[in-house]
Amino acid sequence: MRGLSAALLVVLVGAFLVEPTIFTPLLAPLTPEGAPVIYDRADILSLTLAHLALVAGAMIPATFVAVTLGIFVQSPAGASFLPLSRSLTGFGQTFPPVAVLALTVPILGFGTWPTLLALFLYGLLPVFENTVAGLTGLSPTVVEAAKAMGMTPRQRLWRVELPLAFPLILQGIRISTLVSLSTATIGSVVAAKGLGEIIVAGLTSQNLSFVAQGGLLVAALAVLLAKVFDLVDQRIRPNSASG
Amino acid sequence: MIGLHDLSRHYGDLRAVDDVSLMIEAGSITSIVGTSGSGKSTLLRLVNRLIEPTSGHVTIDGKDVHGVPAPELRRRIGYVIQDHGLFPHWTVARNIATVPELLGWPKARIRDRVSELLTLLSLDPATIGPRFPHQLSGGQMQRVGVARALAAKPELLLMDEPFGALDPLLRGKAQDDLLAIQQTLGTTIILVTHDMAEAIRLSDKIAVMRAGKVEQYARPSEILSRPASDFVQDLVGEGERAFRYLSLIPLSQLVEPGEASGTPLSRNATAAEALNAMIWQNMEVLPLEDGGRVTRAALLRAGHP
Repeated sequence: MRGLSAALLVVLVGAFLVEPTIFTPLLAPLTPEGAPVIYDRADILSLTLAHLALVAGAMIPATFVAVTLGIFVQSPAGASFLPLSRSLTGFGQTFPPVAVLALTVPILGFGTWPTLLALFLYGLLPVFENTVAGLTGLSPTVVEAAKAMGMTPRQRLWRVELPLAFPLILQGIRISTLVSLSTATIGSVVAAKGLGEIIVAGLTSQNLSFVAQGGLLVAALAVLLAKVFDLVDQRIRPNSASG
Repeated sequence: MIGLHDLSRHYGDLRAVDDVSLMIEAGSITSIVGTSGSGKSTLLRLVNRLIEPTSGHVTIDGKDVHGVPAPELRRRIGYVIQDHGLFPHWTVARNIATVPELLGWPKARIRDRVSELLTLLSLDPATIGPRFPHQLSGGQMQRVGVARALAAKPELLLMDEPFGALDPLLRGKAQDDLLAIQQTLGTTIILVTHDMAEAIRLSDKIAVMRAGKVEQYARPSEILSRPASDFVQDLVGEGERAFRYLSLIPLSQLVEPGEASGTPLSRNATAAEALNAMIWQNMEVLPLEDGGRVTRAALLRAGHP
């Protein structure tokens, strides 16, 4: 049943991206007299791809930095950096992305870069915290066994600690990615290409249909992306499968 | 020969292990017995350098182990812990293959070794090998833990309360298996336990620890007959001392020629088991399976040194 609704959502999103005009009858009631029903100032498919690229462009480096930092503060050499790292990633999370845009546009200019930076900073905390939680929550006997078997610290990390912490790290990446998928819409106020453009256009021209198109599309993508994360999560846990 | 020389491990003012020296015969089973906090587990961890000593050193065959990088040393020393510490994300076969993999054995050799060990521990390689640890029973997990420790044919096997998580029935079976495996492989074993009966049953020598020091290091019969201190005597248990002593004596030493009626005893039984059978069956004398007999009087005489 859940698989079926996901499949239905894929079909709906796909149809809208390829041939948005078939949704005209549905959206027409939201459209003011004489205004276009479907956003026509840019191709919706290419906006969607740009939006997803923006999220990926921020989340891949954010994941890399946050996981590396999480591993580092768990090592004996990095333990004293844990409070500092917590403050930094916490600051990144609480500092409003809109404010990041406002502050960085004078330096980085309009467009993609300020948005990438805002999403990057916003995405660090959940991944970092989950990496730390995943690595500290490991069973002490398992960690001791890895050491007693003669694994070097690096072998312990790659063969035992990271694989066992990975489900939790993945949850962190999932949270960050889904949040940045919706947050990325604000990039349009500084002219980053993305689905926010449709929403902003709808707001400025008081066309509710545009707002609905942009908003629902982002929401649908978030639901589908969450589904993808769930599938990956099930895949990496062969030992929790029943049997 | 494993040598512990003047080993100490201090944590601030606490002397977890305090100037311990022991020489352990190659191919023997040695138990370290003590109450919680006596330093017995710390002593064991000093051997494979999971804990570094404050002072003193460990030698294997006369060579100081501090000359060897710790991971390399640990690959030569098997290690079994109470909660088995199996890697939950790996199959049983991969768990057992841990150390051979670290040593870079060829794949085919690892595969052969894994099924050899599973068979040795009476686990079916085809069905148990591909399972994950959480799919095993407690007894199976314990055996896989032993197989993993033995995988790369270590010269020394360290066991920290290896049977502590098993119920009494499984524990007896696991102890028998360990004795059989030790006889087959000839591995030197150092075993930590708080259970004096287990130590008496398994060991060639017993080291009794208290507050970081070894109170007595001797053969089980001597620990029973001549405890070095009140503490050792308490640990042995005054109430069961004679029976424990009898449990060390093989029945074959007490056989006399002659006939008797009643259920025959096995020649491999201990004097304690024979006495138990006599009391329960209310017999003065019992026959042995392959001829001869044992009298109650002979058993009672053997019950004190």
